[in-house]
Amino acid sequence: MSLHEKISSMSMNEIVELCIDQEQQAIDLYVMARDQAKDESAVLKFQELVDMETAHKVALKKFELEHYMDLPPANLKITDYLMEPVLSENLSTQEILILAAKREDKTAKMYQDLADHFSMDKKLNTFFQMMADEELRHKHDLETEYEKEFLQEG
Amino acid sequence: MERERPQSFNTVPMKERLTIPRQDMPEQDADQRSANFLEVNLGLTPEQAVIEAQRCIECKKPTCMDGCPVSIKIPDFIQLICNEDFIGAAKKIKEDNSLPAICGRVCPQETQCEEVCVMGRRFEPVAIGRLERFVADYSLKHGNGSAEQTKLPAPSGNKVAIVGSGPAGLAVASDLIKEGHEVTVFEALHEFGGVLVYGIPEFRLPKLILRQEVATLEAMGVKFVKNFIVGRTMTIQELMSEEGFDAVFLGLGAGLPRFMNIPGENLNGVYSANEFLTRSNLMRGYEFPEWDTPLYRAKRAIIVGGGNTAMDAVRTAKRLGADEAAIVYRRSEEEMPARNEEIHHAKEEGVKFMNLVNPIEFIGDDEGNVIAAKCLRMELGEPDDSGRRRPVPMEGSEFTMEVDMVVIAVGNGSNPLIAQTTPEISTNKWGNIVADEDGRTSMEGVFAGGDIVSGGATVILAMGAGRKSAIAINEYLKSKVWSVA
Repeated sequence: MSLHEKISSMSMNEIVELCIDQEQQAIDLYVMARDQAKDESAVLKFQELVDMETAHKVALKKFELEHYMDLPPANLKITDYLMEPVLSENLSTQEILILAAKREDKTAKMYQDLADHFSMDKKLNTFFQMMADEELRHKHDLETEYEKEFLQEG
Repeated sequence: MERERPQSFNTVPMKERLTIPRQDMPEQDADQRSANFLEVNLGLTPEQAVIEAQRCIECKKPTCMDGCPVSIKIPDFIQLICNEDFIGAAKKIKEDNSLPAICGRVCPQETQCEEVCVMGRRFEPVAIGRLERFVADYSLKHGNGSAEQTKLPAPSGNKVAIVGSGPAGLAVASDLIKEGHEVTVFEALHEFGGVLVYGIPEFRLPKLILRQEVATLEAMGVKFVKNFIVGRTMTIQELMSEEGFDAVFLGLGAGLPRFMNIPGENLNGVYSANEFLTRSNLMRGYEFPEWDTPLYRAKRAIIVGGGNTAMDAVRTAKRLGADEAAIVYRRSEEEMPARNEEIHHAKEEGVKFMNLVNPIEFIGDDEGNVIAAKCLRMELGEPDDSGRRRPVPMEGSEFTMEVDMVVIAVGNGSNPLIAQTTPEISTNKWGNIVADEDGRTSMEGVFAGGDIVSGGATVILAMGAGRKSAIAINEYLKSKVWSVA
């Protein structure tokens, strides 16, 4: 069964649960990376990402559609052309940020695809559009941090 | 509390001072200098220095001092110049700044002391940096540094290790030797000066100036040890427990080059600015084969970045004989962090500026040599937190240009060696050492300051941090009480 078909047969609560599961997968990934990281600065950065994804998960649990109507920020595309690092115990903070931003981008694209697929279902379309925008917002925040620290151009 | 004004030696009536033009510093002709590594700026003449000093209107509240990170007594030294007491003026500066000949050359005065000079509100600000450089050079040439004038107190019996001989370390050394402590500076490289020697080219800061400043400190009793990597040759714990150092100052700088993480960055001919400039500045690659350091002489070089390091690299590439040396910068010239003077000099020397352009890939030939750069054009989008409009890629703007050398100058990070070998010292998520405002780290007796704490900044800010730490180290050595705020 495709994701589209699966979602068509689900209730709104089940769909939200599915999205919460997505966030949990991210949390699990970053916890694993944090525990493997050798460098203290990498441990701190991965912990920050764990905290960020946990906050998203908590927000989804309290989900109310009408609260999520903000427009997404501009896509800075800073990490779009960068090479995706392979997850390892020796990642630098720079690589961690690239990895996380690319992950948010992929998730945003997945939600956008679902929003487009359910364009005739107003409720589902709005929900997935909101989720796509939210992931783009996370990507924007990560890229802003990346730009501030790693594109000093000094 | 209002500051006591220095004795005035300025005989020019106040109204006339406003009509004196700011004195231009003589410099080498652009065509001539773009083919040599000799210093570009030649310094004010004594006559010019006095005229420039006479432009000072002796404000009741000298805002220039607030603009200086080490609070040099600017009005005082300017009055001494008016009195043609150039050695006295240099001594006055040295009360607050141990490296005036260096700061006079590389400090961004236009965003510090000169930016807040009251004259600058209606006219051009007093050329404080040029005056600082003039008296420091005069003192080096005609005086004997400041060693013979500094009466050192009796030995305190305390030993201080300074790790790194860059601006922060030298500032700490200068202040602590005057307190009677035994000071030893450990340097990983074979020359002293840190970023001043490996990062800044001869045409902007002649090495002789730096050697003279180091020699002055040596004459005052500071010991200098080179080729000594703290964390490898000996750890901090060993320095303290086996060598008996009572306190350690970490002034390691930010010497770890950052790359862009785009495809092709490991091709031959793609350098970090650190490597390229170190080969040229420290290893004298520009004098190959007299000096045994190979340095690629490109025909078409691009330098990615817009800061002073990028300007140093592009002007070096030009001097090495590049037919075309270009700055590739993702923002517009307005946002460039480089000093206006460096941008101006680079343009005069024929450097090309490709603004709002960002490389996304470097392409190599069969032998792994870079032959082209694939780039995107950028446009300015919404403003960021600081109000600067941010560059975003323009759809369909991709283009490729031939290059045979690329230098990446997008910034530096912290060397992780100390963090790896001294777990007692906390670092933040960027790898910088965590220290309080006086430089105290999480390990008793160990202080840190400069770029290793703040990330890449200016020479004078590093010196300011070093001076703050020196006060705290002195207090710690006297009390042996470790108090972290």
